[in-house]
Parts: sequence; structure tokens; C-alpha cells
Amino acid sequence: MPWRYRFTAMASVHELQLSTSDRALADRVAAAAIADVRRIEARYSRYRADSVTSAINRAAGRAAVAIDAETASLLRYADRCHAQSGGRFDITSGVLRRAWDFKRRPPRIPLPAELDAARELIGWDRIEWSDTQVHLPQSGMELDFGGIGKEYAADRAAVICRDLGIVHALVNLGGDVRAVGPRADGSPWRVGIRDPRRDDATIASILLDDAAVATSGDYERYFEIGERRYCHLLDPRTGQPVSRWRSVSVAAPLAILAGSHATIAMLLERDAEAYLAPLGVSFLMVAQDGSLTVRDAGGASPAFVVSCAR
Amino acid sequence: MLPGTSLAQSAPDEGVIALRYYDYRDWQAGTDRISVRSPSLYALVPLSDTLTVEGSLVYDSVSGASPLYHDTVSGASGRGIGDYRTAADAKLTRYFGASAIAVGAAYSHEQDYLSRAASVEWRTWSADRNRTFAIGIGAAKDRINAVEGVNGPVLDQPRETYDYLLGITQVLDARSLVESSVTWSDGRGFYADPYKLHDTRPGRRRILAWLTHYNRYFPGPDATLRLAYRYIHDSFGDRSHMLEASWVQTLPEGFTLTPTLRYLTQSAASFYRDPPFPDGFVPGELYTADARLSAFGAVTLGLRLAKELPHGITADLAVNVYRQRGDWRIGRGSPGLAAFSARWIELGLSKRF
Repeated sequence: MPWRYRFTAMASVHELQLSTSDRALADRVAAAAIADVRRIEARYSRYRADSVTSAINRAAGRAAVAIDAETASLLRYADRCHAQSGGRFDITSGVLRRAWDFKRRPPRIPLPAELDAARELIGWDRIEWSDTQVHLPQSGMELDFGGIGKEYAADRAAVICRDLGIVHALVNLGGDVRAVGPRADGSPWRVGIRDPRRDDATIASILLDDAAVATSGDYERYFEIGERRYCHLLDPRTGQPVSRWRSVSVAAPLAILAGSHATIAMLLERDAEAYLAPLGVSFLMVAQDGSLTVRDAGGASPAFVVSCAR
Repeated sequence: MLPGTSLAQSAPDEGVIALRYYDYRDWQAGTDRISVRSPSLYALVPLSDTLTVEGSLVYDSVSGASPLYHDTVSGASGRGIGDYRTAADAKLTRYFGASAIAVGAAYSHEQDYLSRAASVEWRTWSADRNRTFAIGIGAAKDRINAVEGVNGPVLDQPRETYDYLLGITQVLDARSLVESSVTWSDGRGFYADPYKLHDTRPGRRRILAWLTHYNRYFPGPDATLRLAYRYIHDSFGDRSHMLEASWVQTLPEGFTLTPTLRYLTQSAASFYRDPPFPDGFVPGELYTADARLSAFGAVTLGLRLAKELPHGITADLAVNVYRQRGDWRIGRGSPGLAAFSARWIELGLSKRF
């Protein structure tokens, strides 16, 4: 049985499971992996004034900001997601949060004028960036790494485990899961997929051996007015919440791939399946009526198995 | 859920409200570490000279080894990896001249488990109040809903338990008393562990538990010795003996220090098999490898420090360490089991009013 380490960062509960007979090694590796998750949070949180993200956002409309290789690699990845999603995945769309307040009670739908004002500040293709600097051309524009930061941190934690000698580990950062190797006994890790309408139940399982699974859903932050659910995943073109899927889970070799594919599928709504199918990944989508779409990528890829309990 | 016999002979004239915080952690080579944190609230309120009501609320959050089929769960929010338990109970006691009746109810809910219980207890005491008899009956209805059971979901499996209690408390002299009770528990239903691939247990479990306390006060050191012995005879085949000794030492300035030593020795259930998994096993036959049903010995060391504060307030802190090993059993313990250790800390604050 693995050693378990639970911690909170990035406003989520995270867990590391490290299988080794050497307890001291497990403690050391966990400490290093947790420190790195906190490092990534400190660098990219938009809630921290001293973060790289805040420095870039403060300079919007004024100056270019020098960036290092790590930040440049995240921008490159975000650029790729933007292109693959036809502009739906856009790390400048966080400004829509100024119009949508998911914590407000009673909830309120923003006025069209408020959404228009926010939408004017969205546009990844207007960002000037290179491997060494980034410049937001308009005052008020913002970058937000929230869509990929946690998944990136999960992959980094996996690398740290392996580099420090742990070959059987399971990293779960706020629901984004990355497996390092199989379990200590050689069998794959068993990961449940949360039921999007019950936080104490799962709807499916997937077996992971050196792979990742991530889930994007409409239940993370949302409010409801009447029958309609307004979730935090917003289409940057309209400023409106997406509504086609309750959740999308994707298995991929890396957590960052699984996470961004799942988010893009949520954002693409009707075109989600057409987006995911050619990628050669296994996925599981739960539609608003509760019906499931399951696709097995075949080969050595992990496959989703729907619980017979449903 | 039957209480012991040491109950008051008249309605208390003071109410009590108590807050406790309990922090548990265990460890064993090669297994999960479990930690439990649980705050609880207890209140006793005299409603009249002859009627009291008391109740408690507990919330446990368990982290570490959730006994789920999955190693972890992927979801869109970072919540809900842990396990939790909420529990509440309430009891109403009505006092008559030489007797009292208590009616209780309890409720406990976990992700995969729901338990509801009720009890009635009647006790009566002699004219000189030196002897008390108690008789009680309790019933519990449980539901097990292990959706992620390793052999498929275990849905809505029932378990019903009836408890019967007989007890006596006898004051021996001005400084000592002895209290003894026998509880017979008869349960039917689902007892297996749904999170183990092979775990088949009988559908009926009867447990006889005999518990005896002896308390003696020593005026010289102004201290009380408490001894306890418990014998359990379980139809699963395990038998256990528990011996406990506490020394409640009064200290200056309202302090009380209580060291406790407890020893438990237990034989294994008849269908317990030591790892590794037995050859020639026939699926469906009774089998468990649950270490709680193995043969072992265990020692608990505890230390409690309490202080009386002004305004009827008492504060206390208790630290306990527990260690369990196969070879600490009197006789032969189950081989091949790693030693298991735990510690728990309790912090309490209560006020009388």
C-alpha cells in the first residue's frame, strides 16, 4: 500500500500516493513534489501580487515583460490549445470573471453591456509574445494560467517522483490525475470518474499505468437560475457559459494534455466528439440529460469502464 | 449503543455543555496512514427535577485510507476525495423515586454506511442507594451501500442488531464500588468487507461482552484507582480479554493527572487466514484477512491532564499511544502481520451551568 500525502494548494485538495518500502524516501519525495506545486502556484496565481502572471497583467497596455523558459513553454502550450480549439480555449478570457460572479448570492446574469466590455479585452491572437517576453497590448487585458497550471503541476510532480527514485506513484491535483508507473504490485492504478451530479459517487473507472486522466465539468463553480445551470466555463466569443456537457474526462499520456482536451471539449459543446475522436485518446462525456458518450482509443491506451451500478 | 450502568440515581441539577476535539493518526509499515479529525459537541440539559435531555453531535473527517475501490477519483473540482462521518445521538431520562427510564436514539452516516439505533433502559436502586440494577434493550438498523465494492456494487445491504444489557452497580464501602454488566448482541445481515476481493463472513454475529469496573478512592494521596476488565466472546470465533488500570491523581490548583495502561489479547476469528492468500480456496467459503479479526496483543498508554477553572469550566488534554503486534498476544499471535501503531490526542472544554 502506498504512503499518502494530502495537501491543499491552488484552492484545491491534492493527494500524492507514493509506493516504496522506504518511508523516509517517500517523505522526502513528497516534500519535494509538494514544494514544486506550491512554487508553480506562487509563480502563476493571479491572486498573488508577486506572481509572474500579476506582473504581466499589471504591465498590460504599457510594456513587455521579460519571461523565462518555463513561462514561455506554458504560453506555447496555451497557443497550441487556442489554435486547436478554434479560439475557444483562450487564456485571456479570464476577464469574463469581472462580469460573471459565481459566488454572488442571489446569483445574477451579467448585462449584455458588461459582457461586451469584458469581451473587448479577450484575444489571444492580439498578444505579442516570444520565448523571452510577453506584452498585453491593451490596458485591462489579463492572462490566466488557471486552465493549465494544475495539470502542468501534476506532470511536474510525476517527473519529480521519478527523478528522485519513486517508480510507483499516483498524483491527484484537484481531480487531475497522473500515474507514475503501475501500482507496486504491477497492477494498474484504479481511478474513479466522479459523477457530475453527486460528489460522493463515481460513474466510471479507468486503469492507469504511466498515464493521466483529467475531468472538466460544469460542477466546479456555477449557479442556477430556474432550471438553467450557469457554469464557470465560458465561451470567449459570446461570454456565455457552455451547457452541452455535464463533464468530459479524457485519458492521455500527460495530465496537461488530458486536462486541456477535456476543457476544450467542454467549450466546443456540440463539436466535442468531432474534436476528441481524431486525437486518438479515450474519453467519457456526460451530457446534460445524463447520457454517456464513451470512446476507447484502443491499443495500449487506457479505456473508461462505466460502472454497472448506474 | 447501550450505555453502561453507571448512571445517576437522580436528575442532575446542573447542565453541561462540552466541546471536544479528537485527532487520530495511525501507521503501519507498508500501508496507508489514516488520520481522523473530529470535533464533537455534547450537551446535557435538566428540563425539570425529574427529566433530563442530553445529546451529542460528531463530525469526523477521515483522510488517508478511504476504503474506496478506486485509488483516487478524477473530477472537475478538488473537493470530495476524503471520507466523512456525521453522527448524532440524543437521550431523554425520566427519574422516578427509586428508578429511572432512559430512551435514546442515534444516527450515524458515512458515504457507504447509514446506521440508526434506538434504546430503552430501565434502572432501579435499593433504598440505601448502594445497589443499582439496570436492564436495557437496543436495536440498530444499518444500511451498507458500497457502490464501489471490489466485487461489484453492494447496494442497500441491511444489518440489524439487537442488544440486551443487564447490569449491577454495588457500593462496597465509602471508598469503593464495583460495577458489572453483561451485553448480549445478536446481529443479522451483511458483515463482509465490500472493499476486499475475497472477504466472506457469516450473516449472523452474536457477541457476549462482560465488562467489570472496580473503583477505589485513596484518601492519603487523594487519588482514585480504576480497574476494568472486559471479556468478549464472538460467534465469529474470536475471544478477547482486556485489562485496564487508571490512576486519577488530584493535584494542587485544580489539576488532575490520569495515567492509563490498557492491555488487550485477542484470538483470531475462525475464518481468519493469515496472508498469503490460501491455496485451494473455494470462492464463497468463509474467509477474511482483516487484521482486526487476527490474533494479536495490544497495549495502550494514555495520559490525561485536566484542570478545573473558575465558572464551572473544566479543560482537559489527553494523549494516547497504541501499539498492536501479533506476538504480544498471550499464546500465539497471527504471524506475518506488521506491527500497527496509532496515537490520538483529545482536547476538551466543558462548562457546567
